[in-house]
Amino acid sequence: MKKRIVAALLAATMTMGLLSGCGGKTTAEASGASDESTAVTSDAAMAEASEVDGTEITFWHSMGGVNGEAIDTLVKKFNDENELGITVNAQYQGEYDDSLNKLKSAQIGNMGADLVQVYEIGTSFMKNSGWIVPMQTLIDGDSYDVSQIEPNLSAYYTVDGQLCSMPFNSSTPIMYYNKDMFDAAGITEVPDSLEAIGQVGDKLLGAGAGEVMSLGIYGWFFEQFISKQGLEYANNGNGRDEAATAVAFDENGAAANILTAWKDLSDKGYAPNVGRGGDAGLADFSAGKSAITLGSTASLKQILQDVNGKFEVGTAYFPKIASSDVGGVSIGGASLWALDNQDPKKLRATWEFVKFLISPESQAYWNAQTGYFPVTVAAQDEAVFKENIAKYPQFETAIDQLHDSKPEYAGALLSIFPEARATVETEIESMLNGKQDVDTAVGNMATSINKSIEEYNLVNE
Amino acid sequence: MKRKKDLVAPYFYLIPSMLVFAVFLFYPFVKTIYLSLFKTNKLGQAKIFVGLGNYAELLSSASFRNSLKVTLIFVVIVVIGGMLLGLVTAVLCNKAFPGIRFFSTAYALPMAIASSSAAMIFQIMLHPAVGIVNKLLGLDINWLNDPKTALYCVAILTAWLNSGINFLYFSAGLGNIDESLYERASVDGATGVQKFFSLTLPGLSPIMFYTLVVNIIQAFQSFGQIKILTEGGPSETTNVIVYSIYRDAFFNYRFGSASAQSVILFIIIMLITLVMFRIEKKGVKY
Repeated sequence: MKKRIVAALLAATMTMGLLSGCGGKTTAEASGASDESTAVTSDAAMAEASEVDGTEITFWHSMGGVNGEAIDTLVKKFNDENELGITVNAQYQGEYDDSLNKLKSAQIGNMGADLVQVYEIGTSFMKNSGWIVPMQTLIDGDSYDVSQIEPNLSAYYTVDGQLCSMPFNSSTPIMYYNKDMFDAAGITEVPDSLEAIGQVGDKLLGAGAGEVMSLGIYGWFFEQFISKQGLEYANNGNGRDEAATAVAFDENGAAANILTAWKDLSDKGYAPNVGRGGDAGLADFSAGKSAITLGSTASLKQILQDVNGKFEVGTAYFPKIASSDVGGVSIGGASLWALDNQDPKKLRATWEFVKFLISPESQAYWNAQTGYFPVTVAAQDEAVFKENIAKYPQFETAIDQLHDSKPEYAGALLSIFPEARATVETEIESMLNGKQDVDTAVGNMATSINKSIEEYNLVNE
Repeated sequence: MKRKKDLVAPYFYLIPSMLVFAVFLFYPFVKTIYLSLFKTNKLGQAKIFVGLGNYAELLSSASFRNSLKVTLIFVVIVVIGGMLLGLVTAVLCNKAFPGIRFFSTAYALPMAIASSSAAMIFQIMLHPAVGIVNKLLGLDINWLNDPKTALYCVAILTAWLNSGINFLYFSAGLGNIDESLYERASVDGATGVQKFFSLTLPGLSPIMFYTLVVNIIQAFQSFGQIKILTEGGPSETTNVIVYSIYRDAFFNYRFGSASAQSVILFIIIMLITLVMFRIEKKGVKY
């Protein structure tokens, strides 16, 4: 008997370790957290620029690799050159999801950062978090001229006429194509829609393409296809007039259009399932297997490097669904959020640093190093920018595409966007694997996302 | 007087370890059970009491039932594969021969490889267009994106990763078996196969039992390779419970549901472990 008890205890302790792995992080206690229902706070005061000498601020970012090095260079430059005595302490906090999770834990106790980089689909969460000072407050406090900021970039982060956060690393998706294959197939007009891609599919396959299009299953692309149709993702004005209560893509037909066209390409063998994620289709393209792929503008350098001159890489606008559609692209990437630390000096220092980051000079450097858009229009006059565009003429497509879009296609705001994106991907995947048809997939997406929105709105009132 | 002191004193010695357990095990454990009874807000704070609602929702959800099924298949492959591989390699290396150091290092190596880095290497190897697996086999299979193959790929990788530590356990176990037993068996005219089943396996049974328990728990906890290789896809065919917990907690911010899944996972492993301790009494000879 005694042995049995010992055995039971032993078993319990061993397995309890399992739980604690997760439980340890869920110990989010209510104490000290500001009420999350309070919307944007705007009573934060900013000190004068002359008062901030010796102030140290912390900047959390999610840029690894080459992009991280570019950030470090910019931060070092600011620390060396700013005449106000501000020191910025930049910390890499892992990917966007990780960084946001850390921020949540940090907010419960003491603020961890003064400035934080958050991905675009975290916008709604941050806006309602009650932790932030809207960028607009800082802009107004300093009478800063915002007309220099690309309107189609700031549109995404503008809610109720207020710029919530400063766009920093923004990208749009574009279409990459293999010019040599297009020439071999005798295609002179680059297709501008999924429909048009389907029409040249046989020509490309005949000219030796392994597959017509390597199209990764990526929620962001799905959102872009909706914007390209000029339709809305969610209700309440895409979640911008008021928090969205349900998706709109099922009723306005946007999702069905996308999935029908996608499935058609897949059924004809033009666009096989290459997996999930924005990068899933890139390897096939770089290896010279697929004739077309979709990817972020920020992938341009990587693609050119991988292709390494094996063939000529062409770029074109992100495709529409039907060639008759009218719409634009929205942006992805991340923006900078100022956190409310009840310290006017730190706030001022943060603002000075943000101003430095979006200055034409910094932005031209940032663009050349990373392939993200220059946030400031004037960056396009910088020599660094001009050199870069001469070296990578393909980037011109991205700039033109952004300018051709309109703020009204800025895309949706949704509190549960990360989850919605994953749901969309899963359902598309099941559809391509032949487990369900278009209507079922759209229905499942809507049901699942609406349920999550409802639950979120219920517990986060 | 003295006897009373003897009764109290031992408990003081337990305090340090109990404190550590309390902070890292008992508190999170209780908290997880508590949270599993609530709907939580985006900060993970309990907001609305739903009783067993989270559990009811889970058990009626097709996605969670799929997770249970996937986890079970995954664990079976990983445990059997990992232990077989560890056992075979340990037996092979039990005899001295030239180059043994090289082989035993190679077989124990998976132990030293982090699951995430191994996953990244496998990701490239299994890539349909540029991966070496398809090139060598002359196939065109999209290993990680085909619902039919994805789970097996992840499971086999995990089995291989776990085989390193199993190799070590079994090698130690083999070293403990008295050489003279084998000599006597040889004198009696036993063949190699007979010796393996009648001497080696029974001799290994205590360590075998321990390895089995550890392997099962480890298999249930596998995470890094799934996050990197498949993210639970395609079509949720690799969405094991631990990954599903991670998604719900740190991605969807539904700590209530994630906690309920953790508790269910705890109960499952608890039951399996208890059953095994039962069997231990019958099957293990010390």
